[in-house]
Amino acid sequence: MSHDKLIEVKGLEKHFKHLQVLRGIDIDIYKGDVVAVIGPSGSGKSTFLRCLNLLEEPTGGQIIFEGTDLTDRKTNINQLRQKMGMVFQSFNLFANMTVLQNLTIGPVKVKGMKQADAEKLALELLGRVGLADRADAYPIQLSGGQQQRVAIARALAMQPDVMLFDEPTSALDPEMVHEVLDVIKQLAAEHMTMVIVTHEMGFAREVADRVVFIDQGVIQEQGAPEQFFTNPQNQRLKDFLSKVL
Amino acid sequence: MFSFERMIKVWDKYSSMYWSGLGYTLLFALAAVVVGMILGLVIASGRMMKSQSRDNEAVKWLKGVVRAVCTAYVEVFRATPMLVQVFIIYYSIGMVLKLPDSSFNRMFWGMVAVGLNSAAYMSEVIRSGIGAVPGGQMEAARCVGMSHWQAMQHVILPQAVRNILPAMCNEFVTIIKETSVLGMVGIVELMFRAQSIAKQTYIFLEPYVIAAILYFIVVFPLSKIISAVERRMSKSVTR
Repeated sequence: MSHDKLIEVKGLEKHFKHLQVLRGIDIDIYKGDVVAVIGPSGSGKSTFLRCLNLLEEPTGGQIIFEGTDLTDRKTNINQLRQKMGMVFQSFNLFANMTVLQNLTIGPVKVKGMKQADAEKLALELLGRVGLADRADAYPIQLSGGQQQRVAIARALAMQPDVMLFDEPTSALDPEMVHEVLDVIKQLAAEHMTMVIVTHEMGFAREVADRVVFIDQGVIQEQGAPEQFFTNPQNQRLKDFLSKVL
Repeated sequence: MFSFERMIKVWDKYSSMYWSGLGYTLLFALAAVVVGMILGLVIASGRMMKSQSRDNEAVKWLKGVVRAVCTAYVEVFRATPMLVQVFIIYYSIGMVLKLPDSSFNRMFWGMVAVGLNSAAYMSEVIRSGIGAVPGGQMEAARCVGMSHWQAMQHVILPQAVRNILPAMCNEFVTIIKETSVLGMVGIVELMFRAQSIAKQTYIFLEPYVIAAILYFIVVFPLSKIISAVERRMSKSVTR
């Protein structure tokens, strides 16, 4: 693992009308990092993640991605988003396209890749998530777990530098959770940089290099998983862990 | 009292007038749908303009004005009777421009009036069709780096069309019936023909019954076909 800073978040704030959701988040994410973000619902952890690729526009602070300030008005956000894969809780596969088209549309229309090359890449990625045989299916014909694996492959097809996961298993039936987590674990083993908002504590502990606890719009505690889960310092984190573990 | 024999007699004598009246009615409805579709698309886009936090103040203000104008258009046309709109448009635009009172000009302004009216409804059909596509689709498209318009083109509109087409066909059916008000400003269509036949023959019930039958044999099968197609389309998505 190298120590190049990939994302630098400085004093990130976000408020919706009069509701202050993020009250100053500071965090550095390095190349190859796997960061798990946990916290009670309404704590701002999803908003934090969605600010990283500007799905939510921050109202204060800075996000510097690969040396470019995303919060600068002059930044071409479409260009930078290509390098940040996103996986949603509700999959959000393009309903009007087959699985294969879901994977090729980005590379072809955004990066200008040749259709044949994009399909080759797509099939390879589908193989990696175990769905090469479903390339011609429509999203509606797949199970939740399969859809989420396709969604991961779709994000990977853009060959991103970082993958953002917003509660990737929260909408899944229990028996499908592990097939998605296995794919993410495999990515971690390949040193993909990832920020994962999750409720799966066991998974966070197993896969993350660093666990971050967000509550009331700030990072209350962060650390390596062992120390984080076995010896938490922050009182809120102690309360939270006692409820969920 | 209604007499079947009398109706047959009227029909025998004037059937060709009825047929051509029906032809005009369908022509008006078709033209109105086309005008409504194009103008409706423009209005819907206007109403859906969102201010981005990156826009500067002038752009934000301009977008606000466009939104307000389009909204006002829709609300005014939906909250006033079409008959009133037809009279106002006919006596304002048509008269102000001092066009000679030819039957072609009358027909043209009739079409404009119905088209402007249907644009208000069409824009709502388009807007709700696009609005019915889940928000996550746009987010996902933006997340693979697509611009707003690329996302619209490749992801949102292809899905919205499925919602919009059946509703547009229903709007066409509605317009077929509503064009009957054009007869009031002397524009030749089915209702106008029924009226003039009634005036000529001093038979007042049967000519209108014939008109009703003609409207029915067009509108009823058409609406049945549309709902069948609609069912089939929704089946293919939810399978």
